[in-house]
Amino acid sequence: METMLKEGLIGKAFEELGRFLKERVTQSSIHRMAYSRDWSPRESDAANLPDIVVIPKTTEEMVRITQIALRYGIPIVPFGGGTGMGGGTAAWNGGIMVETKGMNQVLEIDEKNFTVTVQTGITIWELNEVLAHKGLWLPHQPESKRSCTIGASIACDNDSTFGLRYGKIKDCLTNAVIVTGRAEAVRVGQRKSSFSSTGYKLLDLLIGSEGTLGVITEATLRILPLPMSRQVRGYFFRSLNESATALERLLSAGLTIESAHINCRHRLHFYTHTYREKFGREPKVPEWAEAIVFFSFSGDGPIVDFNIEKATQILTEEFHAQLIEEKEMVEGWWDSKHRLEFIPFKQKWPDSQRQKKFGSADVGLPIGRLDEGYHHYVEIAKKWNQEVLGMTVYNESPNKATASISFAVFVDDSNTDSVNRFYQYVKEMSEMAIKLEGTMSSYIGDGDRLGGFNRLEHGLSFEYMRRIKEGFDPKNIMNPGKKFESHWIRKDPNE
Amino acid sequence: MNRIEELSGYRDDIYTCNRTRCGFCREECPVYRVNRYETFSCRGKMLVARGLMEGLLKPSKEMAETLDRCLLCGYCQARCALKNTDIIMAMRQHMVQKGLTAQIHQENTNKILREGKLFETQKLIKRQGDTPFYIGCSYRSREKELSTIFSVCERLDLHPQVGEEACCGYIAEATGFFHEFEEAQVCCREHTVPQGDELILTLCPTCTITLKERYGLPVHHAILAVHQKLKEPDMAKKIKPLNLRATYHDPCHLGRMLGIIEEPREILQQLGVEIIEMEHNRYFSTCCGGGGGLTMVDDSLSMEISKNRLRDAMDVGVDTIVTICPTCETVLGRGALRLLNQTGEDIEVLSLWDLLDQSLKD
Repeated sequence: METMLKEGLIGKAFEELGRFLKERVTQSSIHRMAYSRDWSPRESDAANLPDIVVIPKTTEEMVRITQIALRYGIPIVPFGGGTGMGGGTAAWNGGIMVETKGMNQVLEIDEKNFTVTVQTGITIWELNEVLAHKGLWLPHQPESKRSCTIGASIACDNDSTFGLRYGKIKDCLTNAVIVTGRAEAVRVGQRKSSFSSTGYKLLDLLIGSEGTLGVITEATLRILPLPMSRQVRGYFFRSLNESATALERLLSAGLTIESAHINCRHRLHFYTHTYREKFGREPKVPEWAEAIVFFSFSGDGPIVDFNIEKATQILTEEFHAQLIEEKEMVEGWWDSKHRLEFIPFKQKWPDSQRQKKFGSADVGLPIGRLDEGYHHYVEIAKKWNQEVLGMTVYNESPNKATASISFAVFVDDSNTDSVNRFYQYVKEMSEMAIKLEGTMSSYIGDGDRLGGFNRLEHGLSFEYMRRIKEGFDPKNIMNPGKKFESHWIRKDPNE
Repeated sequence: MNRIEELSGYRDDIYTCNRTRCGFCREECPVYRVNRYETFSCRGKMLVARGLMEGLLKPSKEMAETLDRCLLCGYCQARCALKNTDIIMAMRQHMVQKGLTAQIHQENTNKILREGKLFETQKLIKRQGDTPFYIGCSYRSREKELSTIFSVCERLDLHPQVGEEACCGYIAEATGFFHEFEEAQVCCREHTVPQGDELILTLCPTCTITLKERYGLPVHHAILAVHQKLKEPDMAKKIKPLNLRATYHDPCHLGRMLGIIEEPREILQQLGVEIIEMEHNRYFSTCCGGGGGLTMVDDSLSMEISKNRLRDAMDVGVDTIVTICPTCETVLGRGALRLLNQTGEDIEVLSLWDLLDQSLKD
């Protein structure tokens, strides 16, 4: 009866949507299947099909879609790049999947004020291609940028290769338009200014909201002139903690560093896929090196050279680090991490997941506890029978060492039990992070994995978050089942 | 080399994409660029493959039509590590087995088996020479262009030997008629292709890759022989510089699949052409819109894709695009005409053979 009722409502909604979307709305099972997965670990035969897929082209169309969804009580799930690791786009409750990439126009490039206004369905890669013609760029650059959209970056608060100098999306975003669960298009933020001390900072609420407050349709971002040059260097360190301390020292010395990625030995193997394909051998890493750090420096040529010279001097003299002499190893890492240049037909991501899936606990830790965190990681992974892939520390706040960490494992997605064990690993890693005074998520978000369980981190403030949700989305149509509930982690394992 | 017939034979690749979801294939997919459902990208199609394999999706006319909207250009494959085009063809074969494929594909396949050719306007051409050539259906129906090619070859002391030919059958296999392709192959081998180990020069990149990789024959695209000839001493005296500024479009089968990427460029430079590269070039060139049988089922989409490629050329500030593939030349040429009529944008589409013809002295 409930199914028939739901089908009846879906049918009516589909008819109304069709009146203005025409061929940009579908109930076809073929199209719905194509939207049934993101990149989050789940069983290989799992598929969460939405009931309807829509492709709006404007904010106004998104308002109309939301009005219809409200009328019939149908959930709305936004779909950006589809590369989220947290299950944010999983349509557990069916509903209307909003393919946001139909809204992909650049609305304005304001060169004088260094801003760009876009529809949020544009990918970061495409936006930067457009900006490059004018000598500009958006420095928010996740590794998923070929596929990831601006809207997805805002909603998931993902990491950026260049966070150490430019921060994350919150440091670029100046205003946005969100179509809320009330079917209202609301502009939040401070226009083209980078800050404001008036009102409440509703713009900040959008970051990491994962579609639970509404669908973000437009955004204005602060952009920058393209740097004149960029060079990358790598160094071996004796320990993870020491590498973080060294980074802090470099920054306090006044050096300008664009990015710093701290990898354990295991993780280097993952990132040197292209190197191995090209040269047919493993990169040479000294036995004593527990951390391999890659820095990028950008700016005018002589200044970059100066920064590299001084950085190398400080790191080798004060921290006994060793410069990686093999240029190919460093370039191979940079090809994999930033340029995304792979040998044709040998791209890293599918080639490295033929047997098992990349999964991660993305905790954040204080920078003095990296070795401790690594030690727990290896233990917890072993406890839950997870194959260690490796740890990378991303530095995501401007000009200070901060630890947004990927503790990655290879997930056996062949059966429910092994996937559940992965999420037990995530749960225990999250608990460990809280104990070490950190956070349970630093770049993936809650998705369908940490919601509800995240009360452990937030305490009473969790209830304030729920009230904010109710304010934006009183009928809970915006991506229900995320942020406040978990599909995977139960307080009681027997639930 | 036998193609895996059953979709389940590609299970590992399908599940690899299922768990990867990187989306590198998506944004520049020429079809996805026009039709914005995820399903029209390879990433989306891989989930359709999974659905078909698991029984979540049933074969249908709609599925066949969706699968038809793929150029089999292999852009996705170059951005990936999986056998994407093979998987899509296996799905198409499934549609054929269920009797769901488009009627035109069945008709074309029947014609190939019955008459050994694809186009009505194909002519029987015979030519005495010392170098076996396989012309292909497309150029056999374009007498003027073929005459230009022969003239260029003769000036380079290449003497094409041309006889009867049967269609290589690529389009039959590409549209899912695997068994029929095997029949076409038998016919082609027995009746038209020179026996033995003699090197055969080809003019169509699609025929080249089919004869090379599916038939296992010793073939080279003729442009490689031209490239070799132009390196000979005294050749520089034969060239009249063209002083042209143009971009070069890598045909999918020639560039991405066969790796013949630098040779056409070196020839163009020798002819005095300044090459301005499009953003998507070489292994990551994007399709003209003519691949995979798309023009036969959705010419409108094919033309939109063609116009997008031409706009890519105009974006780099050129008004001439050069290529060397009979399909690309035709489809881009038609696209250019449409652009001119619809928007007044004007870009000239030239074959590399045309430029050789203009430049090489008798």
